[in-house]
Amino acid sequence: MRYLLILGMLISSFVLQGTIFYYWDWSGIKPDLVMLLVIYIALHSRPLTAVLWGLSAGILEDLYLGHFIGMYTFTLVAAALLSYWLAQRWYRENFLFIILLVFAVSFAGQLIVVFLSLGVGLHWYIGNGLGVAAGIAIYNVILVPATYPFIHRSFLHGWLRYRPKYER
Amino acid sequence: MGRRINKTGIAVLVFFLLLAVLVSMHLTELGKNFPNPVSETMQFVLSPVEKVLLNFGSIVKKNTRAFWSFYAVEQENSSLRQQVDQLTGDNLKLKEQVLAGIRFEELDQGIFRSPALNMYTKVGASVINRNPTAWYQTITVNRGSRDGVAIGDPVIAQLGLVGKVVNIYASTAEILLIADSEAQVGALVRNDSGTATYGIVQGTYKHSSRLAAEGTFQMLFRREDDVNISDLVLTSGLGGVYPKDIPVGKIKQISLDSSGLLKTAYIEPLVDFDSLEEVYIVKANGGT
Repeated sequence: MRYLLILGMLISSFVLQGTIFYYWDWSGIKPDLVMLLVIYIALHSRPLTAVLWGLSAGILEDLYLGHFIGMYTFTLVAAALLSYWLAQRWYRENFLFIILLVFAVSFAGQLIVVFLSLGVGLHWYIGNGLGVAAGIAIYNVILVPATYPFIHRSFLHGWLRYRPKYER
Repeated sequence: MGRRINKTGIAVLVFFLLLAVLVSMHLTELGKNFPNPVSETMQFVLSPVEKVLLNFGSIVKKNTRAFWSFYAVEQENSSLRQQVDQLTGDNLKLKEQVLAGIRFEELDQGIFRSPALNMYTKVGASVINRNPTAWYQTITVNRGSRDGVAIGDPVIAQLGLVGKVVNIYASTAEILLIADSEAQVGALVRNDSGTATYGIVQGTYKHSSRLAAEGTFQMLFRREDDVNISDLVLTSGLGGVYPKDIPVGKIKQISLDSSGLLKTAYIEPLVDFDSLEEVYIVKANGGT
């Protein structure tokens, strides 16, 4: 049930980014909901689980988009690892730190997208790439107050809570 | 005792992973087709939901525009009132026809007619999705290889050029809009006297258009080239992707660069990419 729910949230993220958030964009900048979800999962998981979810989400997003295969796989694994690493150092119940963490990880993740795009020869100006990456990170931060409290509660007490085998 | 971390091993692993990702990205870049049943299945299953959500979003945005963009709507309202006053005493249509000549007249009628397009079959398509990321300007339409659409086929709307097909599945196709800087278009500018000046139109989606309202396209010219504001920009047919004489836009602003040798024309597109709902795919690459 937990895995199905996370998969459903991932697929909903793909759909919402291309539909509803197309109309709620900010000069063409939309949030990266999949990255936001991977950050949330990494904050509530062990490192291997976080990496596996980042990897699965990345592969699924790359295949869904149908081009530049590997870009989001690499980016989301890196985002999951960075989130986990930061969460070890920051207290995850502190809302302000979560906001900072989401900004830092989203910005770093989008920078990876920019540099990978440059690596395959796309026409980017680094200044514009930085601006877009910062825009996406800010948009992700704006969504944190509306999403994190529910997801966090669900990971601790709700449907997203990990239940050991003896408890099921 | 904690495990020792082999930093060199990790660096080598990351290097090879990065290399593998770059090779994979290069092999699957825009315009390269490869078997991807996962994407095809997801597009097939999700496209009805996406279409409903896209329509819903469009309705909500249209009906709440005055609320979200109160200042812009107020400004627009005031500007429109001024225009109405002006138009009452002045026949704008006649004025535009005199200024822009016969080609503008065709545009005023709503649908352009290009002799170069008549030789191809066209297929109508509805937009069912927009690119979910903020990095590329692509749309997905409900026509695919089953309808004879092929990679590289040009896509047009009622008023002019939209883009080209870069990815294709059985029932859907992904179109790279010309507003994206990856999509360059061989073009010509035809001035009032009918003289053509050739160049390349480039989208500025990833450049200054996010920060300044300078138009969606730009085109470089030599200082002495005879191009003026309001001149019409058409496809040149050079490069083999887009047929000749498809309208692209009108020159809105021209500025000299710092060296004084070149000038940049900022072009206002004729197609409103934000409200595109229906397009025509031109079967220029042998699709039946």
